[in-house]
Amino acid sequence: MWGNKKNVEETESADKKFQKELVSGVAALVLLTILDKATEPMYGYQIAKVIDGEAEDAAVLKQGALYPVLRSLESSGLLESRVEPSVSGPPRRYYRITEPGRTTLARWREMWNQMRTFVDTVMKGEGNGQER
Amino acid sequence: MVKSVDEYLSLLRKELAGSDAAVIQDALADAEEHLRTALAQALSGRPDMSEAEAVPPIVEKYGSPQEIAAAYRQMEARLPASLGRSSYAGHRSVFSRFFGVFADPRAWGALLYLFLSLAIGIVYFTWAVVGISLSLGLLVLIVGIPFAVLFLLSIRGIAFIEGRLVEALLGVRMPRRRMFSDDRTGFWTRIKNLFTQRITWTALAYCILRLGLGIVYFTVFVVLLGLSVYLIAMPITVWVLNMPAYIILGDTEYLATTWSIPFFFVLGVLLLPATMHLAKLVGRGHGALAKFMLVSKKD
Repeated sequence: MWGNKKNVEETESADKKFQKELVSGVAALVLLTILDKATEPMYGYQIAKVIDGEAEDAAVLKQGALYPVLRSLESSGLLESRVEPSVSGPPRRYYRITEPGRTTLARWREMWNQMRTFVDTVMKGEGNGQER
Repeated sequence: MVKSVDEYLSLLRKELAGSDAAVIQDALADAEEHLRTALAQALSGRPDMSEAEAVPPIVEKYGSPQEIAAAYRQMEARLPASLGRSSYAGHRSVFSRFFGVFADPRAWGALLYLFLSLAIGIVYFTWAVVGISLSLGLLVLIVGIPFAVLFLLSIRGIAFIEGRLVEALLGVRMPRRRMFSDDRTGFWTRIKNLFTQRITWTALAYCILRLGLGIVYFTVFVVLLGLSVYLIAMPITVWVLNMPAYIILGDTEYLATTWSIPFFFVLGVLLLPATMHLAKLVGRGHGALAKFMLVSKKD
């Protein structure tokens, strides 16, 4: 019965939705971290390459979805950007982290650690409960 | 299956149909910047590879037009306009809403824009009229066409700058990036586009229209503000400084009597916030006009 097509589709769309919700929270944290480590301003494609290089499973984070996050981080003052013409192709927007961005990142990192510990603890606890 | 960057961009544009024109322009600029860079990277090592082969994996990583359009829509829903939403809206009484306009950055921004609009209008108007006359005059010579092209390009530049100003002071969302153009579009096609796109001509019309509007805005708001300040200062000018206050109606001059001064004072106190509200309203109207004339729906 689980094999029928409708159920498979429903499971897939539920997976997608869950993944999307997870990613949308984490993307801002990832972008701030990368730009915090960077010594020079970076443009979108470079950032996507860094993510690609560091994580095997980068495919969960669609590269195109990074750009609106960059823009919204900029509009809330955590990043700043400037546009520079490129030798080939359209001009590029270079992003750099701001001071408020750094302090926000420190707080968010702390929140992320708490969340991770919390989820891990709950999941372990659940396993124990089943064993008992 | 998407086979070229242009195809992707037109699909993305279709997906974003109905969104804010400025969001569409930003999304297209981002996508183009990324896809062209990725394509150049992919092709650099493999001269035998065609664009149709290289694009699908790049698009796969970038995200489908549906996904990307959804991401931009989501961002736009969360993003406050440049000056923030009016913080005083809603739950407060009519009284505090009326006088609370002084705490509204949008009203101050609009007022500043309306005051600046005379000076800026003169600059745009002069530039446009000199450019048009020189372009038309020089058309008989060989330099006429290149001159006209440069002039129209400068008008597109002005449209962009004016858009930034309108967004900053009036809070109307305008493009944050220049309009994207395909870098493989031929030189002549670009020039043809410059002449055939609606936006070039509406932007030119805007530059000329802006002076007329600027004169009206400036005059109306200087008079309203001056009058408000004068009325508010009347108790001081009449009672303390002993300056007579005249009211001129037609050919007759009336001298304001002492008992009428408090009424004029109250009138001034009401007129000042009313002026601010009017500035906000006119600012919103002008923002809509600027958006219509300076932001291209299609390109």
